[in-house]
Amino acid sequence: MTESLHNILVAIVLAPLIGSILAGLFAGPLGRKGAHTVTIVGVAIACLLSMYVFKRIAIDEIGVFNQTIYTWLKSDGISFEVGFLVDNLTAMMMVVVTFVSLMVHVYTIGYMSHDEENWPEGSGAGVNSYQRFFSYISLFTFSMLMLVMANNFMQLFFGWEAVGLVSYLLIGFWSVRETAVFANLKAFLVNRVGDFGFILGIAGVLMYFNTLDYASVFAVAEQHKDLTMNIWGDEQWSVMTVICILLFIGAMGKSAQVPLHVWLPDSMEGPTPISALIHAATMVTAGIYMVARMSPLYELSETALTFVMIIGALTAFFMGLLGLIQNDIKRVVAYSTLSQLGYMTVALGVSAYAAGVFHLMTHAFFKALLFLGAGSVIIAMHHDQDMRNMGGLRKYMPWTWGTSLVGSLALIGAPGFAGYYSKDSIIMAVGASHLPYADLVYVMVLAGVFITALYSFRMYFLVFHGEPRMDEHTKEHLHECPRVVTWPLIALAVPSVAAGAVFVSSMPFGDFFDGAIKVAHEHDTLAHVGEHFHGWFSMFLHGFVALPTWLAAAGVGTAYYLYMKRPDIPAMIERKLSLVHWVLDNKYGFDAFNQGVIAAASRGLGRFLWKVSDLLLIDGLVVNGSAKSVGLLAAVTRHLQSGYLYHYAFVMIVGLLALFGIFILQ
Amino acid sequence: MSFEQILFYVFSSFLVLSAGAVVTLRNPVHSALALVLAFFNSAALWMMLEAEFLAITLVLVYVGAVMVLFLFVVMMLDINIARMREGFAQLLPIGIVVAVLMFGVMYQVYNGDRFAPGDMPVPTPHAADYENTRELGLQLYTTYVFPFELAAVVLLLAIVAAIALTLRRREGTKYQAPEKQVVTRREDRVRLVKVPSEARK
Amino acid sequence: MDLTLTSFAPAMPEMFLLGMLSLVLVVDLFLTERTRHITYILSLLSLAGTFWLVLDGYPRLPELAFHGSYINDPMAALLKLFMLLAVMVVLVYSKEYIKQRDMYKGEFYLLVLFATLGMLVLASAHTLLTVYMGLELLSLSMYAMVALRRDNVDASEAAMKYFVLGAMASAMLLYGMSLVYGATGTLDFALMGEAAAKLPTNDVTMLFGIIFMLVGVAFKLGAVPFHMWVPDVYHGAPTAVTLFISSAPKLAAFAMLMRIFVDGLGELHQQWQGILIVMALLSFGLGNLVAIAQTNLKRMLAYSGISHIGFLLLGVLSGTSEGYAASLYYAITYVVMSLGGFGMILLLSRAGFEADKLDDLKGLNDRSPWFALMMMMLMFSMAGVPPFLGFWAKLAVIQAAVGVGLVWLAIAAVVFSVVGAFYYLRIIKLMYFDKPESDAPIESSADLRILLSANSLAVVGLGLFPSSLLAICSASIG
Repeated sequence: MTESLHNILVAIVLAPLIGSILAGLFAGPLGRKGAHTVTIVGVAIACLLSMYVFKRIAIDEIGVFNQTIYTWLKSDGISFEVGFLVDNLTAMMMVVVTFVSLMVHVYTIGYMSHDEENWPEGSGAGVNSYQRFFSYISLFTFSMLMLVMANNFMQLFFGWEAVGLVSYLLIGFWSVRETAVFANLKAFLVNRVGDFGFILGIAGVLMYFNTLDYASVFAVAEQHKDLTMNIWGDEQWSVMTVICILLFIGAMGKSAQVPLHVWLPDSMEGPTPISALIHAATMVTAGIYMVARMSPLYELSETALTFVMIIGALTAFFMGLLGLIQNDIKRVVAYSTLSQLGYMTVALGVSAYAAGVFHLMTHAFFKALLFLGAGSVIIAMHHDQDMRNMGGLRKYMPWTWGTSLVGSLALIGAPGFAGYYSKDSIIMAVGASHLPYADLVYVMVLAGVFITALYSFRMYFLVFHGEPRMDEHTKEHLHECPRVVTWPLIALAVPSVAAGAVFVSSMPFGDFFDGAIKVAHEHDTLAHVGEHFHGWFSMFLHGFVALPTWLAAAGVGTAYYLYMKRPDIPAMIERKLSLVHWVLDNKYGFDAFNQGVIAAASRGLGRFLWKVSDLLLIDGLVVNGSAKSVGLLAAVTRHLQSGYLYHYAFVMIVGLLALFGIFILQ
Repeated sequence: MSFEQILFYVFSSFLVLSAGAVVTLRNPVHSALALVLAFFNSAALWMMLEAEFLAITLVLVYVGAVMVLFLFVVMMLDINIARMREGFAQLLPIGIVVAVLMFGVMYQVYNGDRFAPGDMPVPTPHAADYENTRELGLQLYTTYVFPFELAAVVLLLAIVAAIALTLRRREGTKYQAPEKQVVTRREDRVRLVKVPSEARK
Repeated sequence: MDLTLTSFAPAMPEMFLLGMLSLVLVVDLFLTERTRHITYILSLLSLAGTFWLVLDGYPRLPELAFHGSYINDPMAALLKLFMLLAVMVVLVYSKEYIKQRDMYKGEFYLLVLFATLGMLVLASAHTLLTVYMGLELLSLSMYAMVALRRDNVDASEAAMKYFVLGAMASAMLLYGMSLVYGATGTLDFALMGEAAAKLPTNDVTMLFGIIFMLVGVAFKLGAVPFHMWVPDVYHGAPTAVTLFISSAPKLAAFAMLMRIFVDGLGELHQQWQGILIVMALLSFGLGNLVAIAQTNLKRMLAYSGISHIGFLLLGVLSGTSEGYAASLYYAITYVVMSLGGFGMILLLSRAGFEADKLDDLKGLNDRSPWFALMMMMLMFSMAGVPPFLGFWAKLAVIQAAVGVGLVWLAIAAVVFSVVGAFYYLRIIKLMYFDKPESDAPIESSADLRILLSANSLAVVGLGLFPSSLLAICSASIG
């Protein structure tokens, strides 16, 4: 049985890779149709097989699959392997990744159909850009699968870097746009900071556990609980805390947590399908997934958990606020993604891993839906993304409107929708937590609910209701998008509604993740919450009397009042609270700080190293210096060859004498 | 001191002196003559070692043939001694240092126990019917036939090389052609011309 | 007294070559300038026949002949095969060149054959006397060859220097031999080892003799500080002769080193190891350094040759059979590369023009991409860039040195080979990145072109399958 699963898993990983290679390297011969066919078929195979694997693992419960597929190398007793660990957590992630990816693939056919317009005349990079895009997203699917299916840190790191690479390539996909190039460089650099922590964390694991295999590490993690290490000075640090925080720094980069979040809003420069796939549904949740996967380690360090929780809360609250003042439709969704990632991180911090992962799943569906909806609007608006130029789109784009409404309701946690179950679980778990500062965090996440509702429906009202504000030309051409665009929206709307009710009893409050996620008894907030859980329907009903729901409703109401009834008020608030607006407008100054201080200092340091240590010391003294001194020596020694016969004879005699001197007289 | 020893020391000291003279004498002709004297003395020393064949060969070949040829060459070439001695004074100190060092090393080696007179057994004189030439021949044509033949090849090579380096046919040089000379007939050389007599004016 | 034919049989190749040589000598007398190619072909045939005889008599076990004066063992046979091959290559390469320079005479071929005979004798020498005779045969021929263009001032000067210094080295060698004979009482290598083993350790006479003999050998090899003749002679001699001097005689000198110091005085390894270390270090140090400052390709290759000899000594001085095999491998490798390098000069030269300056290689890629590629491979190989042949040779000798704990020497060797890489790579730079100074077409005969290409490709081919030749070398040392 496991043997056949073995082949299936390999097929799941390889199908998108093969699609990617074909579409990428044979772009010319395949043409557009060929490229999107092979990649979609590849991802569809991966998706169907993932569902099959999910059924076998999660429903038939045939047991965890943990097997090494290929040993890359062995060095000093440590194996570097490619191996798959498939349990309920992995299976769920595989389904989410491949399903969203498949939807995005299909959607891309419509979104990128006029991609040649995005490239200047005669641009070399514009040739076969359509095929290249498909190649990249398939490659991303492969990388993400490698990441989630890894059974060791080496492969995790490979997947981690591979998705980062594809993200970089896709953010800067329109490489002729300066903003895109700036954004992808920024994403790359910020992720470097995170990855540095991540690889240090892996190094720490390797150092103290002497293996990279998950199972081996987790098996002995408990014994290392009280180990301490000396970083500098006499201070003793808990090894677990150091490793967990280092790994989490990696997660902060990838999952865009404060203060490493700055790249995510800018990443919206990429085409919208990848914003949905990579920067909302899958890649950015890699950090969440990783922490959940490492739960046996995190459970050993309360310090690390508190750190995680606080970072998450800061992200959830402050990034939500930024969503309020954005005018770019994609940026609103981007900030909402940041905020939701913050919620997931908070869940991890309070040891409600299951709730965090559950929210990850529901969020993947409804956020992909929202992004694709936004993309659909953008297509209709001829790539104008400013919400101030929209309005009243409901009657032109009924399908987009309907699905976006579903997505927004799911996002704000309207009772019954997927987001309600997952987000409410998190909030309740925070309420039950005993970690330091948990009370403060509870307030922040509650406030976040209001803010979420406010910005979500601000966007919704500005885009779909009110008076149309676009110019006449655009207005004439407004129409619903083709079916390759709307069908994925519908397909994503279904789980956005249903996934919560279906899985709420098994995922956060059941034993779905038992074995994959380990929670220490004293941290088990979900179990505490679960005592009051009596099935999805009672939770649904409870929603109408719970505080978060009322906060969300208040948010919606406020949005309706401010943007539908009294559009003059927001402008007035902006004037009155100009300082606050200024702070928000400058995104709390993170970008200014990064560019003004960190980047400038790095450039200064780089310049110093370049001018002084590279040009002067290495090139000047070491490289050219040694070359010059060799040349000088050569120029001197060549004069030994005087051309005079008696000199030569004399040298021979002297040589002979020297040999005597050395070997006879000694 | 036996008579033999006295003879040995006489010949040895003449050998050393004449060898020194070869290097130090100003006139190359004198040097060559001193070399002849050195050969004679070494021949005498070989004679004392019962190597009669070698001793006589040395005199016959080197003194009789090689050195005579050498003297001819030296006399025919105009060697400018003065120019050759340029820089001699400059290089002399270094030369002396090197020579002294060399001598020191040699002294170190030969002052060892191997070369003291007592270290080698005194050779027993051969009987009167012992033929040095025959013994040498036997050795040369049996044990050492390979190097001996090779020596012959070296001589052949020397001839070839010498010819290759010296034989040249310059343009305009006049040669005899004996093969043509012997086959010439009277008709080729003498032409009888009938000169008609002319009347005096 | 054993004078039956069987006792001569192992020396068949030498005897055949001597006979053919005499034939060429006589036949050439009756030839004119127009029919000179008969000499050429006869010489090639002599070499080929000798080659066949060596191959035919390839020994499994050492065979002695001529009362122990001559030995035919696998090492001798292998060396002879490569010597003969190298000489044949030399003859083909140099044919056009000597025609254009008034050297196309029977004497050139005769001297080459004499020298070849000397090399074969050296490879098979089993007594000090045979070594000396072989050496003289080889040396005298080479002196004469260098002087063959007697109207050329450079060549005459080179010949004079070579002759005088060579005579000095010869005298020293002979002096050392007499001392060793005095100390051991034998000329025969088989007996010499036993006699030397009985001597007290650090016997001064013996050491004295060893040093003198080593000077003689080092001179032949061109090891520092007895290398002074090398640049001047390589530079001054006609390129065809330089090609010859730099190739097969190096194998002969290696044979001489192996015969005297391994066959004869292997027991005294401890005593000569130190001297070789000094020579090796100086050779690859000075050779590589001074090569950088050269502007003449022949001089540069001369210094490069000196440095290669330093590497070659690394293997021998390690005193293990792996080391000897590595050195043998290195010697063969060097000959292959050197033939290619000087062959390239011959290729580019034409009547009245010597392509022996570095500038003459400028922009070779524009003039002939194929030969630029060939030269590049040769240079990479000489610099020791993997996977070319020269890399494996360097690796083998350095491994041998490391194997006996001479790590510092190995490191020095690596450092200097990096220094040396500079001037090889400079040639590549000249060929590919500079503009040619002349656009004269490369005029050369087809046989030279084909053989030179094969020569260069051998550097790649043997480099891709390094173990084949190395295995043969190891088997030959046994």
